[in-house]
Amino acid sequence: MTAARQAQLGVVIGLAMAFWTIVSTPVAAHGVSSKDALFLLSLNGPAIIPLMYLGAKHMVTGYDHLLFLIGVIFYLYRLKDILLYVSLFTVGHSITLLGGALGGIRVDPYLIDAVIGLSIVYKGFENIGGFRRLLGFQPNPRAAVLVFGLFHGFGLATKLQQFNLSPNGLVENIVSFNVGVEIGQLLALTAVLIGLTYWRARPGYLQHAYVTNAALMTAGFVFAGYQLAGFAIGE
Amino acid sequence: MNQAVSVTEVPLPSRSRLAVTTLAALAVAVVILMTIVLPAEYGIDPLGSGEALGLTAMSRPIAVEPIPLPAGGDALKPTPNGPINLYGAPFKVDAVEFVLGPYDYVEYKYQLQEGAQMQFAWKATRPVIHDFHGEVGADPTQVKSFDKSNRQEAIGALTAPFAGIHGWYWENPGAESVTVTLKSSGFYSGALEFRSDKTRKTHELSVP
Repeated sequence: MTAARQAQLGVVIGLAMAFWTIVSTPVAAHGVSSKDALFLLSLNGPAIIPLMYLGAKHMVTGYDHLLFLIGVIFYLYRLKDILLYVSLFTVGHSITLLGGALGGIRVDPYLIDAVIGLSIVYKGFENIGGFRRLLGFQPNPRAAVLVFGLFHGFGLATKLQQFNLSPNGLVENIVSFNVGVEIGQLLALTAVLIGLTYWRARPGYLQHAYVTNAALMTAGFVFAGYQLAGFAIGE
Repeated sequence: MNQAVSVTEVPLPSRSRLAVTTLAALAVAVVILMTIVLPAEYGIDPLGSGEALGLTAMSRPIAVEPIPLPAGGDALKPTPNGPINLYGAPFKVDAVEFVLGPYDYVEYKYQLQEGAQMQFAWKATRPVIHDFHGEVGADPTQVKSFDKSNRQEAIGALTAPFAGIHGWYWENPGAESVTVTLKSSGFYSGALEFRSDKTRKTHELSVP
């Protein structure tokens, strides 16, 4: 495969990722579908399995969390490292999901989602060596994943808070949602890992890595801009 | 498989390449936002691309053009639409009670357009002489009886066979007072009460 051919492939993959982000935007819209919303509003009491399902569904179809995870595990090869980083992310978002939803801490969903978009940009920038070039050192990636995990958890909490869940069974429901989020994350991560592993085994992975992470930054900027515009017009 | 490369071993881009990459990512994001995402999501279409691509339609609320209600006095005349009768005005509800002294009677009727519907339930404290009927165009000489049986109660629905006033004649056959209570709902425009002393009274009807 020639260098030009590889560069072409990289651009195609990058564009495909960006396109995927765009097409999934109106569909998933990062909220809860109206059918699920009606279900949540009608709840009065614990609904453990349905909430777990919704949590898992939110994670598997929530491209913002997925893009961030792609960025996180992009340069992670050993299962030990993957487990460490994903655990840090899980700890981070569980703290704020449970704390935010149970403690009734309200944050503007648009601003939180904008920060989540910027977390994708951050990860892409880190992966192309941006911080090491710019600052001369690598800011602790574990701390970054933990901190961004906190923001992602607030994002998850705001989704649930939009439905003014009945206080009856609230704790069970939110914990179930959180458990579902972890299951969904595991499923999504497995799929991402299979794809990345397959890709890593092919020649030219490192050449495409730069373009891929640049595309990740683009997708993060798009998502952040989309949310900031929503905040600005107060929709 | 390639040898594992950690993020710290990735060859660093030059400052200028880093700047170009970051600005390009931002610029592409802005273009995608301006041309596609903002028009589709919020109807913000600074470049007109959303209109050209048909994306702004996504952010508009689904157009529901209401068919105007029939205007004027015909508002309570039904317009058949398949098995449905459509009306230009809301149905009303009514609840009245009449106390009939010995051998006294009362007539109580609703103004209905042809084909308009009305549901009712009435009950008396003892059996009464009863005639459920309609007057064509409120003309007492053109009366059509629907039900002339003696009853103590009746629950039913009427579809007016013609425009006019439709309702009940209740007569107390005995020496003791009788109370008749009536509840109804229907597409009627008004109610009239006729008493044995020849008085005539219109009733206020309420919209539920």
